[in-house]
Amino acid sequence: MPATSPAGLSRRGFLAAGGGLSLAAMLGLSGCGDSSSPSSGKAADTLALLLPGDAPTGWEAILAKVNEKLKKDLGFAIAPQFVAWSNYQQQSLLKFTAGENFDTALQARWLNMIQLVASKSLVPVDDLISKYPNLSKTLDPQLLEQNKWSGKLYGIPQVNSAARFHHFTVRQDLADKLGAGELSTFDQLEKFWYDVKQKEKLTPIGISSNMPDLLVAFAPVGWLNQHDWENPHVSVQTFSGGSLPFYLAQDGKSTGSAKPIPFWEAPGVVDALRKVRKYYLDGIINKDALNVDSSTIKSQFESGRIATRWAMTDGLSSQSLTPLRKAVPTAQIANVVPLRGGKDAKPNQTFQADNFVVLNVKGRSNERAMQLEDWVSIKENHDLLSYGVEGTDWKPVGTDKFQQLSQYSFPGFALCWRQKLELKIKDITPTEEAWFDWAQKYDNFTLDPYASFVPDVTPVKRQDSQVNAAMTQYGNPLWIGAVDVDKGLDNLKKAVDKAGLAELQAEMEKQANTYLKGQ
Amino acid sequence: MSTRTPVRSSLWLGLLAVPAVAFFLVFSYAPMAGLVVAFKEFDISKGLFGSPWNGLDNFRYFFASGDAQRILVNTIVLNVLFLAATLAAGVTLAIMLNEIRGRFFKRAAQSTIFFPYFVSPVVIAIMLQVLLSGPSGSGGVVNDALAGFGLPTVSWYTEPGPWPWILTFVKIWQLGGYMSVIFLAAITSIPEDVYEAGQIDGASRAQMALRITLPLLKPTAAVLLVLGVGRIFYGDFGTIYAIVGDNGTLFPTTDVIDTYVFRSLRQIGDFGTTAAIGLFQSVVGFVLVSTAVLIQRRYSKETSLL
Amino acid sequence: MTSSLAKAAGRTAAKRRSGGWEPFTVVSVIGVALFMLVCLIPFWVILSGSFTDEQTLAGKGYSLIPQPFSTAAYKLIFTGPTLVSAYVASIFITVVGTVLALSITSGLSWVIARRLPYVSRPLAIFAYIPMLFAGGLVPLYLLVTQYLKLQNSYLAVILPLLVAPFLVFIQVSAFRQLPEEILDSARVDGAGEMQIFFRIGLPLSKPILAVVGLFYAVHYWNEWFTALLFISDIHKYPLPLLLQNLISNVTFSQMLPTAAEQSTPVYQLRLALTVVTIGPILLAYPFAQRYFVKGITLGATKG
Repeated sequence: MPATSPAGLSRRGFLAAGGGLSLAAMLGLSGCGDSSSPSSGKAADTLALLLPGDAPTGWEAILAKVNEKLKKDLGFAIAPQFVAWSNYQQQSLLKFTAGENFDTALQARWLNMIQLVASKSLVPVDDLISKYPNLSKTLDPQLLEQNKWSGKLYGIPQVNSAARFHHFTVRQDLADKLGAGELSTFDQLEKFWYDVKQKEKLTPIGISSNMPDLLVAFAPVGWLNQHDWENPHVSVQTFSGGSLPFYLAQDGKSTGSAKPIPFWEAPGVVDALRKVRKYYLDGIINKDALNVDSSTIKSQFESGRIATRWAMTDGLSSQSLTPLRKAVPTAQIANVVPLRGGKDAKPNQTFQADNFVVLNVKGRSNERAMQLEDWVSIKENHDLLSYGVEGTDWKPVGTDKFQQLSQYSFPGFALCWRQKLELKIKDITPTEEAWFDWAQKYDNFTLDPYASFVPDVTPVKRQDSQVNAAMTQYGNPLWIGAVDVDKGLDNLKKAVDKAGLAELQAEMEKQANTYLKGQ
Repeated sequence: MSTRTPVRSSLWLGLLAVPAVAFFLVFSYAPMAGLVVAFKEFDISKGLFGSPWNGLDNFRYFFASGDAQRILVNTIVLNVLFLAATLAAGVTLAIMLNEIRGRFFKRAAQSTIFFPYFVSPVVIAIMLQVLLSGPSGSGGVVNDALAGFGLPTVSWYTEPGPWPWILTFVKIWQLGGYMSVIFLAAITSIPEDVYEAGQIDGASRAQMALRITLPLLKPTAAVLLVLGVGRIFYGDFGTIYAIVGDNGTLFPTTDVIDTYVFRSLRQIGDFGTTAAIGLFQSVVGFVLVSTAVLIQRRYSKETSLL
Repeated sequence: MTSSLAKAAGRTAAKRRSGGWEPFTVVSVIGVALFMLVCLIPFWVILSGSFTDEQTLAGKGYSLIPQPFSTAAYKLIFTGPTLVSAYVASIFITVVGTVLALSITSGLSWVIARRLPYVSRPLAIFAYIPMLFAGGLVPLYLLVTQYLKLQNSYLAVILPLLVAPFLVFIQVSAFRQLPEEILDSARVDGAGEMQIFFRIGLPLSKPILAVVGLFYAVHYWNEWFTALLFISDIHKYPLPLLLQNLISNVTFSQMLPTAAEQSTPVYQLRLALTVVTIGPILLAYPFAQRYFVKGITLGATKG
């Protein structure tokens, strides 16, 4: 699931949204546009849901079945509206701003959740969940605890694993051919990349334009930061996505002071930058990383032109195998998590969910929305909505896997992802399955000392937006190694100093220390 | 100048404009009340009345940024390049098309050159990558050609220098045909007898194009120019962002107001600030257009917009 | 006035065909041919790419021959359940929108072009300001959904784009170039101002009407943003919104379990979408073109 930002926001929409909110004023209504007040009785028979993406193939048939059962069980139906991914952020915010009375929506930190929480547009659900047995049964108490922001839970976290940990998908057939065997350390990976470059003439690593800030200074580990893989205990925070990463002290809890430092002062970071620069110059990573989108990288990986690709512990990267084998019949892929200590490394983890189902304060019936969330937590209902009709759309494989038979695929993470109910795909590779299982257990991780710290950007909004601009200009080329490290870092430092680094750092320190005190 | 039309019938004629005026009032002017948010600290829950005023704070943000000067310069330079290039391309193409006599060839030509207008910026960006960088960022058609001539290859996507020209080329490709259609329609309405004099003088076709057609296209060009001047502070966000994206190495020559604002605010989504920038662009545009119109009226009343 | 028209036509039809190829003609033909080539090659690459297997496309880049041949992207597009209704919606929006827009724009442009005292200049300013100042998305959204209540109506797509100031001024400038003598002679014949507009102004302005109509049509045909805002019923989606969703969905589809056999052809799909969108416009183009090509054909024999 992309913690990275959704691609392709429309500038036109974005700027226009800035035009604000005020026809209402002219026509003498409150700014929130309250006119869509809930009409009694009839309206709440249908819940309006906002879902991202496009209606799945065969959606009408499944929806009819879902509604039929919902009507019987609970006496209401759902009417989801799909909004394309590239417009989802703007459109959902617009609907909140206009005061519409839809019931649930997908929200997240990488969407507009922080603003919506600040403006009290979301219903806190921490006290509600316990009233719904099916729902609370499928949500781990740890998950609920870690996803509280300032003590309140503002949505139902949607996860299919305890932790989210990015790592590598590699072409195992090439590794075997080059005599590297099973890869488990960063050094082995690096050797594999150089061998691939020399002997196989393909691009060893594919990087897309939404990945630069994941490469070096990122929590839980920088993707290409060897230091992090060997010491996976860093806490990194930014005021907003793409802004300057600050490293926070690991012993903050005992000292009471978070001592945030800009990323270049953190151990291992400058070395990692130099290494990435070397990869760039040696042709280990694609030179067009800043201009190529993720679907292109996916396509290239699946056509056998790239040997290593970004992966997440979501159990889905094995999906590339089938198309890849069309291009390279002997292809094998494996997932590599080069932690020192392997599965016993206990790396840091914030357990923050990437997605939440939120309840709209202005929704027609918050109670029914909760009933719905409870209803989709029952295995039978969950499977119907998530996978379709058993036998025609999917069939179970073993006890914990499924095979897709039709084209139906539902964005479950926007409504009904329950870690305990999700099935794995049939073709999951052994290595991916092993790491996916590893990510299911809370005990395999160390709780990040700043796990549920969500910095509030409001006091330093202006500085942050300027630092953000500087980071795109000077940070991105640095992250992917397109510029000389010393010169690039120098330029970056100058730019962020001017943009207000000092204020950001002070504010981060203040907020992080306050957080530590509350722990 | 309108002694011909008596006032009464001019009011009568004014009825023709009523639907359009109603449209503008409802769909353009009424929503403009939204511009007040440029002077407010916007808050979703508080709405318009609740959101506190913050004076010119939202405007300060942009000018406080150290990049403001460079971005303003980029915006103006790129827009002047685009405007001049597309106008020139449109006029040239229209005049050349006018020379072509083969009916089939002319139709085919017109359809073809109009086609790039439909290609989405994303597809343009992909095609540019094929030309300039090739799959996985090394090579590309242009570099292959350069190498073929024994010239040094260029790492286009890390070299900001050539990008104003590359983007201008893209704009010509995109809009050349579109613009030429406007000019063709204008050429069509040039009365025949104008050319007869030239004919008798024994002027060559080139001379006639230069001395007769070109001057008669001036009013149309003037209108397009004035309209373009008003938008000079806007970037062509769609195309520039699709092509350059977040590639910081190209910003020194390609970053314009629209892309800068989009980038720096997309995470925070500060409505007030975006509205302020938009208002700033509008006001500057308004001033520029007014100036342009005044100058134009002074030199040639005939072609004046107003 | 009919006589003056006939006279003009007779004059243009005068058979004055210059004998040889003058250098300027040769230069023009070469110039246009070159520009055509610059436009045609990408078009061909897009067309050929849209039929090329995704794997090859991603691996080897583009080529001029679709090898290996694949219709995967088109299958994906044309198997959508709502494609037919999307075409119908788009055609409706384009036809109704263009007719309305062209009528209203012509009316306004004529009034501005006539330079009527106290009317034309204020109107011109009135029409120009919206080109620069826009209230933004939220007010428009509230206006359409809460005051006009046009959700899920095609009017919600048509109305907000009804008059484009840019095209108003293009048309004004064309109207002003109509020969005054013809209008004057009509007045002498006792024609009213309205009659002049409908009987002389419009018929004489066919080329510019064709151009402005074409631009509106293109605009409506491509419009997806207002549809995104106001149309939530998938059976009412116009084509561009449907395609927009398709491509956006494919880009993000990596996040969902999909039928393992099928991998969405991202590259290929983008190219195929271009073809599918352009196709109908290129088919309709010659109809509009007739008006200005015809004029030009007459013009080209001058000299």
